[in-house]
Amino acid sequence: MISLNELTKTYGRGADSVTVLDRLNFEVGAGEIFAVTGPSGAGKSTLAQCINLLERPTSGSVVVNGEDLSSLPEKRLRAARRRIGTVFQSASLLSRRTASENIALPLEYLGVTPGEIRARVGELIDRVGLGPKAHSYPFQLSGGQAQRVGIARALALRPAILLADEATSGLDPDTTSSVVELLKQLRTDLDLTVVFITHEMDTVRQIADSVARLERGRIVETGALVDLLTDHGSPLGRALQPRLRFAAADDDAATWYVTYDSADVPGDWIQRVSVDLAVPVHLLGASVETVHGINTGSATLGIAAASDDAVRAVLAKYGLSGTPDASRETGVGGAPVSPVRSGAVPALEGAA
Amino acid sequence: MSAVVGGSIYVPRADVPVAELPALLLPAYGETVVMVGIVMAIVLVVGTPLGVLLHNAAPGGLFERPALHAVLGWIISVGRSLPFLILMASIVPFTRFLTGTNIGIAAAVVPMSLAGIAFFTRIVENALRSVPPSIVRVARASGGSNLQIMRSAQFGEAVPAVLGGLTIQVIAMIEYSAIAGTIGAGGIGYVAVTYGYQRFDNTVMLATILILVATVAFVQVAGDRLVRWVTPQKRLQRA
Repeated sequence: MISLNELTKTYGRGADSVTVLDRLNFEVGAGEIFAVTGPSGAGKSTLAQCINLLERPTSGSVVVNGEDLSSLPEKRLRAARRRIGTVFQSASLLSRRTASENIALPLEYLGVTPGEIRARVGELIDRVGLGPKAHSYPFQLSGGQAQRVGIARALALRPAILLADEATSGLDPDTTSSVVELLKQLRTDLDLTVVFITHEMDTVRQIADSVARLERGRIVETGALVDLLTDHGSPLGRALQPRLRFAAADDDAATWYVTYDSADVPGDWIQRVSVDLAVPVHLLGASVETVHGINTGSATLGIAAASDDAVRAVLAKYGLSGTPDASRETGVGGAPVSPVRSGAVPALEGAA
Repeated sequence: MSAVVGGSIYVPRADVPVAELPALLLPAYGETVVMVGIVMAIVLVVGTPLGVLLHNAAPGGLFERPALHAVLGWIISVGRSLPFLILMASIVPFTRFLTGTNIGIAAAVVPMSLAGIAFFTRIVENALRSVPPSIVRVARASGGSNLQIMRSAQFGEAVPAVLGGLTIQVIAMIEYSAIAGTIGAGGIGYVAVTYGYQRFDNTVMLATILILVATVAFVQVAGDRLVRWVTPQKRLQRA
């Protein structure tokens, strides 16, 4: 379990000082994956360095299993770092050491005997599924394999907390998924507390139990992933939805932007809405996926000749929230998500 | 400047016949090797920690000491900015104090070591600077002490760059030993100056040039091999 209490990091003094992190509070329990997301410059990397104790907070504390680690004297701080494993971006492996030797690094630093190191490294290599690559050098590993080495190294000293600092950034989607699956598996097997810092919303949807959004050094929104995804009023929830391009509605039809707004949307809702309204419903674009067993997502519909209120009422009946949406055509106005990402195919995976 | 250094150099009256070249050049070559060897040992022992210190005392290093870094950097820059001949001449009193003489191998080793240390410190500093900061962060997050981090992460990653620099350094020291020859330090440089230059003995001049070119080429090839050997990617991917 890790908790941040009023964590503040300020660089510089007096009038020139810059507050990078401003009184952050959150708590992540054992077995939980907590994602911190936010734009570049929001303070994500500073937060990571405060959590793994490479930086000391200006005020506030980082508490791991009830012990305030951030205020320890320098010598004990080094030992305290061993309780938090960090997976870095693009693994950051030592280029002149093999996969095994990289994983052994924290054990060597601790002064573990060579025999014990061999046993522990073998165990870790198997756990991350890299057995045949144990004696390969980093240049012989793919991005995903290198990141598995990074994960094994972070776990070498059996930490209670695993910090992933942009651990999947720069990996292709398939590799990201496999690394995410590995982290989820490890979380379950080892009852790890995982703090996952990333700017990739797609990855957050895959991995997180809870999410916080960091903006200009502050947590502006936080909540359980499912709650956020089914709350169309939440900016973070909207930001977490995939961004889609959708087809244009027929001339006589209005474009509706629909989000899953509850946990029990029936799988055949399009059919039902069409029957209830007695007009055809055109599916113009949609992304629906299962997050923690609950369908979440959004769809863009073309619905002809029905009053807006009637459409809203029918959608609400099925746990959906709809906005008639002419402005979305141009991607401006109060649209929840603007169709900016070109080439993205509306994904229907998980749609019943 | 006709004094025979160390008593080992054979001095003929006229141009040296080709048959007698080995008797003249081999002992001199041995002196060069000894001189460069001693200097390199001193340079490695002193310059390596100094380079690591310089790198880590700098802002962003493991133990930032801006004042120490500035002073150290300044001293090294002064050492590096003097032409070797001038440095050698200007520290004669210091050399005499240390070795009791200002000619011979012992006397040449002092200025060569000073210049070499300054040179190598910068080479080590530069090599460490090329190690990505993320590697050092990894080592710190893995619970390494400063000493452990310097050894395994910083120096461990920089070994190929340091060895590449070391090659340059050895060649520079061979050159310095030849310059030191002008003040009677012995070695190949001394032979080149006294026979080739002062006595217009073209045979000796040509022979010393060939020996120096061959030596430098050998050092370079050996250095390149070594760098290749310590770089897994180059060692295992034979092009």
